[in-house]
Amino acid sequence: MRSTLFCALALASAFVFAAPVVAHHGFSVEFDETKPVTLTGVVTKMEFMNPHIYFYLDVKDANGKVVNWAFEGSPPNILSRQGWRKDTVKPGDMLTAKGFRARDGAHLVACTTITFQDGHQLTVGPGNIKAYDKN
Amino acid sequence: MSHPSRSAFIGVIVALLALPFFTACSGRPAGGAQASGPPDLNGVWSAPFTPDISKPLGHQPPFTPYAADLFKKEDEIDDPLTQCLPIGPARGIQAGLMPFQIVQTPAVTAILFENQRTFRIINTDGRSHPSDVDPTWFGDSIGHWEGDTLVVDTVGLNDRTWLDTAGHQHSDQLHLVERFQKVDADNIKWTVRFEDPKFYTEPWSVTLPIKRQNTEIMSYSCEENEKDRAHLRRTNKLNK
Repeated sequence: MRSTLFCALALASAFVFAAPVVAHHGFSVEFDETKPVTLTGVVTKMEFMNPHIYFYLDVKDANGKVVNWAFEGSPPNILSRQGWRKDTVKPGDMLTAKGFRARDGAHLVACTTITFQDGHQLTVGPGNIKAYDKN
Repeated sequence: MSHPSRSAFIGVIVALLALPFFTACSGRPAGGAQASGPPDLNGVWSAPFTPDISKPLGHQPPFTPYAADLFKKEDEIDDPLTQCLPIGPARGIQAGLMPFQIVQTPAVTAILFENQRTFRIINTDGRSHPSDVDPTWFGDSIGHWEGDTLVVDTVGLNDRTWLDTAGHQHSDQLHLVERFQKVDADNIKWTVRFEDPKFYTEPWSVTLPIKRQNTEIMSYSCEENEKDRAHLRRTNKLNK
């Protein structure tokens, strides 16, 4: 069932209105393109809200300590056009999320993609930073 | 308990959306749709996201010394959109990130931006600009048809919006002239002319394609769950 859902999402993503998006601020004022990060953990909360969606992962660090990270993505309108729904990511899901860390050192990431345990990948935010900065 | 501005907004939208149906029921063609009349611009549209308006221009606009100095020092943390302020009339089209809907009637054409659910009212009933306009976020717009082109003249803009994400700014003397030329059913050629003697030594124009979108206007509210501002830092990256 999940495979069917994600096939549908992937197919939808190929045809919808596409826009590189950070909804209301530039990338560089908040995130550091020199600090890419890949983290795996369990979703603790999903906020499918404006101006950015947020989801939160409990991630174990090298010492086994669990840290709750926040991941920011495109707003719901953009993601909805890519096939997302409010429960596309939900608490309990195990994800690997890629993105770029916040400049202020917070456990906050501008998320570009997520990969579910079954291998399906979804775009969460723009992968090309410069597409929405000053170029 | 409803907020007055929200009620006014809803009223305007309902009236604009309903008007074509009333004209259809009266036996008269909807505005702009008749074969002999102006083209029909109704629909949902989008221009390519253009965060730096100097790119389609091919060079920096002709800054006055004052504007050149301001632009050099500009930091994107100061972008009004970061504060969830309105996007402004031209940026809403060329760098709104989200589509907009045109609702066209004989006397009024409205542009409904998905971005912050803001809107422009363009009066096409032959009126002139008021003689004394208090500056506002979207100004005072009047329009007329020149063949297949809706020509929109806008004054009365405040100086608080940016023209783009890159930090090109303007004063309250900004005068916009836009040409919405209907090319075919799914394409509009949009040309915007920026005139602002305080910021630019001469008027300059850019042209972008606007394409019909197979979507509907969705919701977008910048303040709903805003969490970024606490994390923003100055980039200290000077513009060229």
